[in-house]
Amino acid sequence: MTGRLKVYYIPWKPFLMQNTLPTFYGTLPIMRTILIREKISLVHGHQAFSTLCHEALMHARTMGYKVVFTDHSLYGFADVGSIHMNKVLQFTLADVSQAICVSHTSKENTVLRSGLPPEKVFVIPNAVDTAMFTPAPEKLSHNEIVIIVISRLVYRKGADLLVEVIPEICRLFSNVRFIVGGDGPKRVRLEEMREKNSLQDRVEMLGAVPHARVRSVLISGHIFLNSSLTEAFCIAILEAASCGLLTVSTRVGGVPEVLPDDMIVLAEPDPSDMVRAIRKAISILPKIDPQVMHLRMKKLYNWHDVAKRTEIVYDRALGCSNQNLVDRLSRYLPCGGWAGKLFCLVMIIDFLLWRLLQLWQPTEDIEEVPDFSLPNSECPEFKEDGSLSLR
Amino acid sequence: MDSSINENPSPTRPRWRKVAYGGMQPGFDDNHTDETFLEAMVMNANVVKRSMLKVMQDSVSISQYLCIVALVVLVWTCTLRSTLNENTLLLLDVSLLGLGFLVLILTAEMMSLNLLFHYFINISFFTTGLYVSAPIYQTLTRSISSDSIWAVTVSLLILHLFLHDYSGSTIRAPGALKNPNLTSCISLNASVVASVFIASRLPSRIQVFAIMLFSLQVFLFAPLVTYCIKKYSFQLHLWFSFGLMVLTLAFVYMLHRLLFVLLLGLLVFVTVVCPYWLIRIQEYKFEINGPWDEAKLCFDITE
Repeated sequence: MTGRLKVYYIPWKPFLMQNTLPTFYGTLPIMRTILIREKISLVHGHQAFSTLCHEALMHARTMGYKVVFTDHSLYGFADVGSIHMNKVLQFTLADVSQAICVSHTSKENTVLRSGLPPEKVFVIPNAVDTAMFTPAPEKLSHNEIVIIVISRLVYRKGADLLVEVIPEICRLFSNVRFIVGGDGPKRVRLEEMREKNSLQDRVEMLGAVPHARVRSVLISGHIFLNSSLTEAFCIAILEAASCGLLTVSTRVGGVPEVLPDDMIVLAEPDPSDMVRAIRKAISILPKIDPQVMHLRMKKLYNWHDVAKRTEIVYDRALGCSNQNLVDRLSRYLPCGGWAGKLFCLVMIIDFLLWRLLQLWQPTEDIEEVPDFSLPNSECPEFKEDGSLSLR
Repeated sequence: MDSSINENPSPTRPRWRKVAYGGMQPGFDDNHTDETFLEAMVMNANVVKRSMLKVMQDSVSISQYLCIVALVVLVWTCTLRSTLNENTLLLLDVSLLGLGFLVLILTAEMMSLNLLFHYFINISFFTTGLYVSAPIYQTLTRSISSDSIWAVTVSLLILHLFLHDYSGSTIRAPGALKNPNLTSCISLNASVVASVFIASRLPSRIQVFAIMLFSLQVFLFAPLVTYCIKKYSFQLHLWFSFGLMVLTLAFVYMLHRLLFVLLLGLLVFVTVVCPYWLIRIQEYKFEINGPWDEAKLCFDITE
């Protein structure tokens, strides 16, 4: 793929919402083959709910590779599901070289859930492709104010707040229109709200919007409304700001850290406070210039910068000392009275299986991929403003 | 621009800010942990500090109900051994019904004649229905051996005690707020099935009717009566429970020494040991709240 990126497809069948069943040691042979074949030096796993990620990191550590983990979401502590997931996370992060979180609030949450020392966790936020999300060429008129909502219509993303807020705003401001993009289980409630309040001409429901069309939906509006109940880092807000929209969002999770105070209006996740925030946004809307906002976003967020910072983390991780099995086991024991011993057992079995695999399928038999370089005419290059160009 | 707050040209670096925009903050690594780290974390915000005396008083409800169930099992044993004959049982039933009604009338805040009449009609229907279906119960388990019956009854009673709602009453008292939940309905059904099994072991029809009436009266209405007493006056509730415990222990002592020791041990465990244990392990409670929590909606979602 572009830029010498390779994708391997592991043929496990997903059983629920693109998740595969955890198989503990099932992925060991194929992981070992891929890591040796490609001469990998470091394994970077993402997302705490991915079973493939946890297994891959476990096998990589057994085989002696350095490991980096990125956590992308916030999670609670109190219910049964959370307690289990946090224990699994504690297992994976007990022996990780470095960790990355996408916001400072996410760092606090991950440190509390996994018991990692805070110095091991780096905060590298996501960025946005500003070249793709450019504002509309001509500024929209302010006779009619359009508020855009694009999100999955689920409980977690605050669809119920939308059901309370939209009729109230339509009642208070006669020149405000809503465009709601996205689909989900709560779409029925929004349609019902629309019918009950006769807002068919003021609320437009677009259904699921493919990613390529998001920009065209965004540039048709003035304000972007985000009502999520929990958010580690909200890329949707960045895309909206890059298109020159003023954002109104709930003050949850990492959202207050994402944009400067003059580009976002924050509200508590409560319908009356959100109405107040939208009122304030409408009043400051004349002062907003989409082009100026877009240029600011180009300087604030840059994938090139994210890559550079991630490379620093990789260098740090590669500089960590190698440890043999016994030293590593001592890191698992403090995880808990029963859990520590169980984790040690899991790692010992993994180690034994790996040795068995080495005997059965020796390293020399695995063919390594030769280094190749593309001819110069096809080499892609990053320009200073973060956009990608093919020479 | 959004880079630094202080503009003085001295070599001190700008302060670290808890923001995600603007790239790497100058002078700070990405893994810099500020003093404000975990500043917004709140620990044990909703945890209630318990006092030993209050927990012991609250545990009296549990031991009181244990004694009531023990008394029911006592009556069952005496009936199965033919120590109690049907006339005594019927007398017991009627007197318990009368007592229950008396307590309801004396402790209820709003008791109208209409409501009383309504209760009386319901009880009559209930009793008539039981009398008519007594022959069914009598022959229900004729083909099952006694050992299986005792084993099933004991397990059902244990299930009943486990899932019972000790703070309220499954049969809703007038003016009760919550609907009964699933576990309390399951426990009530378990106790009713246990009564049916025991009743089916008896020889004569009148005995079956009398024992069914007795068991169902106690299991269905005793929680309601004790809930009314507790609501009326806590002191009365404590004295009533104490009296009941003494009565139960006396009767069980007359029946079987070992069971007496077991019951006494269980009551001491529930009233003294468990509250102490609860308070001891409460100091390990660690409830974490902070800005990372999922926001709770302050309104109810009406579908």
